[in-house]
Amino acid sequence: MVTLQINGQTRDAPDAARNLLSYIRFDARLTGTKYGCGEGLCGACTVLVDGQPLRACTTTVGAVAGGAITTVEGLARDGVLHPVQQAFVEESAMQCGYCIPGFIMTSVALLGREQRPTRGQIREALSLNMCRCGTYQRILDAVEKAAQATEGAAR
Amino acid sequence: MSDRNAATAAGLRITGDVHTGPPPARTSYARAAYANTAPDATKATWLVVHADGTATAYAGKVEYGQGIRTGLAIEVADELRLPVAAVEVVLGDTELVPWDMGTFGSQSTARVGLQLRKAAATAREALLELAADRFDLPAGGLRAEAGRVKADGDGGRSATYAELLAGQSVERELADDVALMPPAGFTQMARPQRRIDADARVTGAAVYARDVMVDGMLFAAVLRWPAAGARLRDVDTSTAERMPGVARVVRDGHLVGVLADSDEHAAAGVAVLRAQWDEPGESPATPVDLPALLVESGRDPYVTQEAGAPEDAFRGAAGVLEATYFIPYVSNAPMEPRAAVARWDGDRLTVWAGTQRPFGIRSELAQRFGIEESAVRVIAPEIGGGFGSKSPYPVAHEAARLARIAGCPVRVAYTRAEDMAYATFRPAALITIKSGFMSDGKLVAWRFEGYHAGDRPFLGRRGSETPYDVPHVKVTTYTSDSPLPTGSYRSLGAAVNHFARESHMDEIAAAVGIDTVELRLRNLSDARFRRVLERAAAAHGWSAEAPPSKRGQGVAIGIDVGSYCATVAQLDVQGSEVRVERVTAALDCGLTVNPDGARNQVEGSVVMGMGTALYEAIDFRGGRVLNAGFTRYRVPRSSDAPAVQVELVGDDDTPSTGAGEPGIVPIAAAIANAVFDRTGTRLRELPLQRVLR
Ligand code: FES
Ligand code: FES
Repeated sequence: MVTLQINGQTRDAPDAARNLLSYIRFDARLTGTKYGCGEGLCGACTVLVDGQPLRACTTTVGAVAGGAITTVEGLARDGVLHPVQQAFVEESAMQCGYCIPGFIMTSVALLGREQRPTRGQIREALSLNMCRCGTYQRILDAVEKAAQATEGAAR
Repeated sequence: MSDRNAATAAGLRITGDVHTGPPPARTSYARAAYANTAPDATKATWLVVHADGTATAYAGKVEYGQGIRTGLAIEVADELRLPVAAVEVVLGDTELVPWDMGTFGSQSTARVGLQLRKAAATAREALLELAADRFDLPAGGLRAEAGRVKADGDGGRSATYAELLAGQSVERELADDVALMPPAGFTQMARPQRRIDADARVTGAAVYARDVMVDGMLFAAVLRWPAAGARLRDVDTSTAERMPGVARVVRDGHLVGVLADSDEHAAAGVAVLRAQWDEPGESPATPVDLPALLVESGRDPYVTQEAGAPEDAFRGAAGVLEATYFIPYVSNAPMEPRAAVARWDGDRLTVWAGTQRPFGIRSELAQRFGIEESAVRVIAPEIGGGFGSKSPYPVAHEAARLARIAGCPVRVAYTRAEDMAYATFRPAALITIKSGFMSDGKLVAWRFEGYHAGDRPFLGRRGSETPYDVPHVKVTTYTSDSPLPTGSYRSLGAAVNHFARESHMDEIAAAVGIDTVELRLRNLSDARFRRVLERAAAAHGWSAEAPPSKRGQGVAIGIDVGSYCATVAQLDVQGSEVRVERVTAALDCGLTVNPDGARNQVEGSVVMGMGTALYEAIDFRGGRVLNAGFTRYRVPRSSDAPAVQVELVGDDDTPSTGAGEPGIVPIAAAIANAVFDRTGTRLRELPLQRVLR
């Protein structure tokens, strides 16, 4: 038995060897975190563990026991979108949207450690996430915008 | 929101013909590929204005990233004089929406959008009449605005749609000749608008086929063939049946599924199935000489364009060039691998499937199980991309077959490797072009012979015709053998044919020493083509110079689904690594309902087409795909993505044509031409980075 914290809620996972992505999607029923490759190559499954981005598809629940996990469902507060989510909406930074939760989580982690990332740093941080619809330019724009918004809010 | 079910909703209902315009041409993709489905009713409800004054529009299309839900909402809102937020769009559920052949060929805005505009305009007229009755005024003196009908003049009377519809149940026939809002009256159309479904996509609330779970559902993993066309001889299921969590192993002919209480248990079960296969065709040991196979097996010549006598005209030309271009198989590889959940309730079947053809899949399933179409409901939830690959949807059949036998709901979800290997590919092609031209670059003769893999000739025909003015021309496409299954891909074969033609035009420019934009303009009288080319060149800051100029600048033009596109690529080459820095594209798709949506589509098409130009090729031996998965199949990432600028140049009074596909047709040639411009090396084979290596 493993105890997990997901979006502030404590949950029990009977099987420490359970794949973390499958656990989040099918057991915790938080399907905003996506499967894109299962091999750590596309970033669709990115969640935060103690603020750090992690590919859930190549991890077990046992490996994150005791950590605080945030999924895309855990970002909005009282119906108010996180600045990164808000920026993706404003820039229409999406087509099918399937990759978007992964990009958002990676971006939230980036802005957590780097308040004023350059375009190059954003590009670099997101280079392990894949968007087959090719909305990269908008995604980069959205993250830049979110960085400005959070900076403005912090001042 | 009010009752979404068109059959039971109160208020004002607009019904109309299910068919939206003439049936597709017999040679078209839609007809040839998927003629298996037909409407089960001639009329359907297209629009309901609810008693609360909001509206719901119904369409058989699906949303797979093209922004159709937003586009349709904008069209309805503008005709109905409502804010976009007051319009809901129900898509892709065979029980709720009008029959539709499928979402492909960029027909959504052109046909269904127009139908919904007419439905909304009919509703607007009906509301004006209701108000005229109520106010006892002539309808001519009334106008609809912001969800209410107002009488002209100060102190005039007014009533909201909700007030007009309170307690009413009105039905109107869609008026085909109803007056549509003229462009000057647009308040929502032709203006950039945000996606109406964005919030659900950023919060994780949007439900895709992979996310569907129903009570009592088992997770299935399916035994896959080792190579296309392999047949199952025997399978030993005994070990799998004893694996933890495995409920049972179901076999139905060649379909073998391990059903378990979790995805992981099902996968572990299928891994220990011991299967014996009969593999057809080539031995995996010998690689196929694909270019040779394409030409040698080419059959059924089909002439898509013919005029004059090119063979004679070559003799009178100042210069003649002949060159051959090769394009490999590529994978659609949408981010969401295909998945389906099937549930039987007695003899009624419900399937959640992320398909581009919910009605087609419904027909297939009804036929397979020998039940009425009305006993099958296919629900297409949000779809994580497709680009053509989700028209055939075998996973829906697998889930339905396994669920029927198992007696409980079953979910089948492809892994990435399954989705790429157990799929169709954009046909590989070999194209030979011979051109004759004068010393000023004017074309006199053009011979184009395209050999496209696979038994679906319409894929290779699309976009093979040349738009240039050439008096003597013959364009022929052939159907060639294919070691791999072929299928639809964004623009079908148009991107492939355009790569060859637009590369060749640059070769002529280099041969006569003329700037490549100028060379094209000299051969182009079509005004819409000239406009996109001139606009793209100007917006990019193109300066005329004959290639190769070392600047790394390339151009190409294209037409697809009636939309015109011109693209300029700017790049640098370091060893075998091509870095596309900046792309400028001009698109004319007529009236652009949502300019931001159209831009988004062109940006995406540029990135996707860049992948096919530089990196992507399916490797195979026999019918085995060797690089299924992202480890050995490279697709563009954010670090590869160029800055893309999109110029929309369509006129508001020209009917809308598609925006999702035309952007991909010029980009590969624009990149290859830019590589030539940068390096002086002409590459006639894709993907370019492999050739550079
Ligand atoms: S699904 Fe985890 S990285 Fe692709
Ligand atoms: S929006 Fe479709 S994969 Fe990124």
